[in-house]
Amino acid sequence: MLTSFRWLQELCPIDADVHEVAHRITQAGLEVEAIEEKGANLSGVVVAEVRTRAPHPKRDKLTLVTVFDGEAEHEVVCGAPNVPEPGGRVLFARPGAILPNGTTIEPRRVGGVESSGMICSEAELEVGADAEGIFIVDAENEALPGADVADALDLHDFVLDIGLTPNRPDCLGHVGIAREIGILFGKRCEPRKAAGPRRTFAAGASFQADQPTTDLVKLWDGQSELVDASALSSISVEIADGDRCPRYGAALVSGVQVGPSPFWLRYRLHNLGLRTLSNVVDATNLILLEWGHPIHGFDLHRLRGAKVVVRLAKDGETMATLDGIEREFTADDLLICDGRGPVAVAGVMGGSDSEIRDDTKDILIECAYFDPRSIRRTSRRLGLQTDSSHRFERGVDPEAVPRVMASAASLIAELGEGASATTAIDRVAIAHSPKSIAFRPARAARLLGTEIEAEDSQRILEAVGCRLVDETGKVFTFEAPSWRPDLGREVDLIEEVARVRGYDEIPTAVPRVRPSESGTPEVLRFISALRTAAVTTGLYEAVNYAFLSVEDLQKARVSTEVVSLANPLSEERSAMRTSLLPGLAGAATRAQRHGATEVQLFELARTFHPSDDPLPREDTALAILLAGNRSGWIGDEQPFEFYDGKGVLEAILDRVIGQRPDFTQGEVPAFMHPKRSAIVSLAGRAVGFVGEIHPDVGDALELHGRVVYAEIDVALLHAISEELGTPQGHLLPKFPAVTRDIAMLVREEFTAGEIATALSEASGGLAESVRLFDLYRGDQIPEGHRSLAFRMTYRDPESTLTDKRVDKAHAKVAELARDRFQATIR
Amino acid sequence: MAEPDAVQTFEDGLADIRGAYEQALRDAADEPELRLVNGRYVGPQGELTKLLKLMPKLPGDRRRELGQRANALKQEIQSTFDAVLDSIHRHARDAELTGLPLDVTLPGRWPMPGRLHPITRIRNEVLEILVSLGFDVADGPEVELYENCFDKLGFPPDHPATDEHDTFFIEGGPSSGRHSVLLRTQTSTIQIREMSLRQPPLAIVSPGAVYRRDDDTTHSPMFFQLEGFLVDTDVTFAELKGVLTLFLRRLFDEHVAVRFRASYFPFVEPGGEVDMSCVFCRAWEGDKERTAACRVCKGNGWMEILGCGMIHPVVFENVGYDAEKYTGFAFGMGLDRIAMLKYGIPNIKLLYDNDVRFLSQF
Ligand SMILES: [Zn+2]
Repeated sequence: MLTSFRWLQELCPIDADVHEVAHRITQAGLEVEAIEEKGANLSGVVVAEVRTRAPHPKRDKLTLVTVFDGEAEHEVVCGAPNVPEPGGRVLFARPGAILPNGTTIEPRRVGGVESSGMICSEAELEVGADAEGIFIVDAENEALPGADVADALDLHDFVLDIGLTPNRPDCLGHVGIAREIGILFGKRCEPRKAAGPRRTFAAGASFQADQPTTDLVKLWDGQSELVDASALSSISVEIADGDRCPRYGAALVSGVQVGPSPFWLRYRLHNLGLRTLSNVVDATNLILLEWGHPIHGFDLHRLRGAKVVVRLAKDGETMATLDGIEREFTADDLLICDGRGPVAVAGVMGGSDSEIRDDTKDILIECAYFDPRSIRRTSRRLGLQTDSSHRFERGVDPEAVPRVMASAASLIAELGEGASATTAIDRVAIAHSPKSIAFRPARAARLLGTEIEAEDSQRILEAVGCRLVDETGKVFTFEAPSWRPDLGREVDLIEEVARVRGYDEIPTAVPRVRPSESGTPEVLRFISALRTAAVTTGLYEAVNYAFLSVEDLQKARVSTEVVSLANPLSEERSAMRTSLLPGLAGAATRAQRHGATEVQLFELARTFHPSDDPLPREDTALAILLAGNRSGWIGDEQPFEFYDGKGVLEAILDRVIGQRPDFTQGEVPAFMHPKRSAIVSLAGRAVGFVGEIHPDVGDALELHGRVVYAEIDVALLHAISEELGTPQGHLLPKFPAVTRDIAMLVREEFTAGEIATALSEASGGLAESVRLFDLYRGDQIPEGHRSLAFRMTYRDPESTLTDKRVDKAHAKVAELARDRFQATIR
Repeated sequence: MAEPDAVQTFEDGLADIRGAYEQALRDAADEPELRLVNGRYVGPQGELTKLLKLMPKLPGDRRRELGQRANALKQEIQSTFDAVLDSIHRHARDAELTGLPLDVTLPGRWPMPGRLHPITRIRNEVLEILVSLGFDVADGPEVELYENCFDKLGFPPDHPATDEHDTFFIEGGPSSGRHSVLLRTQTSTIQIREMSLRQPPLAIVSPGAVYRRDDDTTHSPMFFQLEGFLVDTDVTFAELKGVLTLFLRRLFDEHVAVRFRASYFPFVEPGGEVDMSCVFCRAWEGDKERTAACRVCKGNGWMEILGCGMIHPVVFENVGYDAEKYTGFAFGMGLDRIAMLKYGIPNIKLLYDNDVRFLSQF
């Protein structure tokens, strides 16, 4: 909220400067996000008197003006249509002055005439929005030519931008912030009652007989000129739904002249970010900014049937709001109606039929308290958030209704040169009852970790507006002030005490954390280890958005049974991913587009799948994507293929689990290459897959070359890892091993893995390991065959092997190779 | 049967070899040549080997003596061979030791590791500190029930406190409101989940992805938070200050000043925000000019870093804890923001582009 420091000082005069005030209120929870000085950037702009005025010799729309700036006369060419008669005063930027937008005023020729300086509009000086004509100094202003504009127009101020938290509706007006400053600086600063207007009238005749006289409230005690307003039509107020509208006040102002506001008012509103419209509308805005309590002005003569009814809408009922849009309501929307139909959306926006117009003379000022939730729902439903709804949905002060009405009626009457009724309607459907809250100083000490004297707490709470209603033993009972809907229980009062004293006053204690028995779930450590292992193997970690488009999923041929967002930001991010492939592929495509030759990515994140439970299933997956080349040493790059993916998985699992997985031909997902992929399993259970993605999918994803992809189910992997347990140590072999090689020519359909397993089995338990060390295709190898060479390591753990035993075993191995695989031993 | 010529042949052979081998070996230019020459004498087809094959044809009375001479010659050849080989090696080593150095600027030959994403990296750093202080790590779902994200955390119904949480709702159920399913907007949901499962004492931290419908230059619709909380009997605000001060000093710099100011989050009270000295201009060093010119803290020397407070009794009531018996504190921080501050990342969008040129910087 934008706040005028000048205004705050008027409401709560204290010595501290703007920076100290900003610091203190920030510490107390009213965060000042910016401070902007006003009236400080206008040096060289002064009040000047018009001495002569003549048409420009060549240009129709220009005027030659001579002004006196207190020191000298200047001839200026002016394009504005409203140059005053000689004697009138204007704002003059002397040559050399710098305007707020950064332009330096320099003498220049306009249509052959030398123009020295510039006569300014309020928009050019950024003191208002009017850019139509030049600013003309008010006759009542006594500033002499040469007076600095900031002094002459009283522009000096600081605007504080305060980021208010939603629990503090009391600070949505200057009165509330001033009260807060008073609390923090130890100065009592209660809202002042408005002085009455100069002219009033007796309103009795204007309130119908059926309005109970108990609803009438006297607005002022003071003296004023009583005028006759007996011709004013009468009015009554009826609240049909007291829960939604506990209180509704209506004041009358008669005989106003709608017209422009005085400069001080326009300037204040301009600085605080509001447009100025007319004196009456500006006055309602000023009251809003002063009290934080929205009011609404109706043209009294446009209220039909002489009454105001506050009721719920009927489903489908319609009304055009001030912004010209026809709105349709539901039975959950509260409306302000006249004798015939709706005239305003309660607390949100007025209707266009009853709004204040230039010819409005008599005004009904509404000042009410509405149920915050009701206003919020309506405002949300209509998508209509206004300064008014913003305050009502946070909760205005129900007890402020008479005061705010008095201020509003007085201000409008004064600005519009009308008269205000001395009494107003103040209909209370449900009276505000203050909340009683117990406060135990001992509890405060226990929560804050510091003792606070009971008297100090009491003093602070009373300054905040709480009223001590009972003190029994060590329990104090306070009533919360009506403007603090956020104070409802003990801890709220403890916070007030802590906040007003300042959190700095609370000591800093050595933390005391009792360790838990369960500790961190093992799976989280496991996930962390997987990430580290993946990085160690050379992969870069990616973090993608968890939402994408269904089309992305389709292109990648992954599951399109998705968890969808009801309100996505865009179609591109409307479905939760079912696989990590599209995200990684997107990153790889972008990388290839900017010329990356090697892409080695992994992501460890969740995928989302619809389920019958209230919440979808979230699976954690480890995905790896390799595209382009594996970098070798100087010109030794090779395109990634299946075996790179396999190797990376082996390296990761070996590191994390201490074991390499098995790779077998099997059913892989449709987006994988049917012939160049494998199922990855561990301890006999499939935990994922690895391979090259289907070339058609690669095309659809706009990826070049072979792309290797692997995906592992992390929860399953972890479960198996738990079963496998911690690696156990073994003694080293006592007896030496003997190695023998066997090379063979076999048909391609036999896998190296199955041959190796068979060779090992054939050794009669003597082979400790079988390792493929050579693979050859080509010259001298028949079509459909390949040459494989295995190194067999034989060892007997119990004795030294004799050549004879090894020869025998190796012969059996060769025999098996010939028999089972029709191998030609070489 | 002995052949008289055989003796002559044998003796001539020995003499020939003896006369030639030494020079031949010494003339060899390098090891392969040396081995070739050596093979010519003692290899399987070598001259001396051939002579030795004549042994059975020698007459019995000369066989022993000639055999000894042949073996002696073989040993002489061997030792000459060894000496020449040694000299060749020595020569080569001398050449390497005194010649042109290697081009050490050629690339190294070992696969390089990759890099952790900066979010993971900062998460590890943060967790390391908090775990060492005694906190356990926990985890929760990213798709959540409305009540866990808002109601049970004390967000009043229809209250503007939810305005900062512009929420993605999941299709299928109610598309907003109390019975809906949503993408969690904060990791504070973990408070409800963990407290519903366990009894105090609890000291938990939980990092994770959260989602809000904001997408502009400073907001990403998905980002990462870390929630921490401690529940026990007599946990105080003073301890909250202690933990967070320690945490920030360990994470950033032991000299940073930390200040707590009042703020509002529905699930804590008293609630606060924590500012620390700007780490960009190192405000604690007191260089006023540098701080005045700092774009990050806009010259005021402070930066907002996390939100915190004492867990609101309404949260305890909602999970069935005795709110009189237990107190606790909670804090939350944006891991993206901390990563950006700590690693000087200028734009949040870089975190989710997964451009290797960016990822390789960490
Ligand atoms: Zn800084």
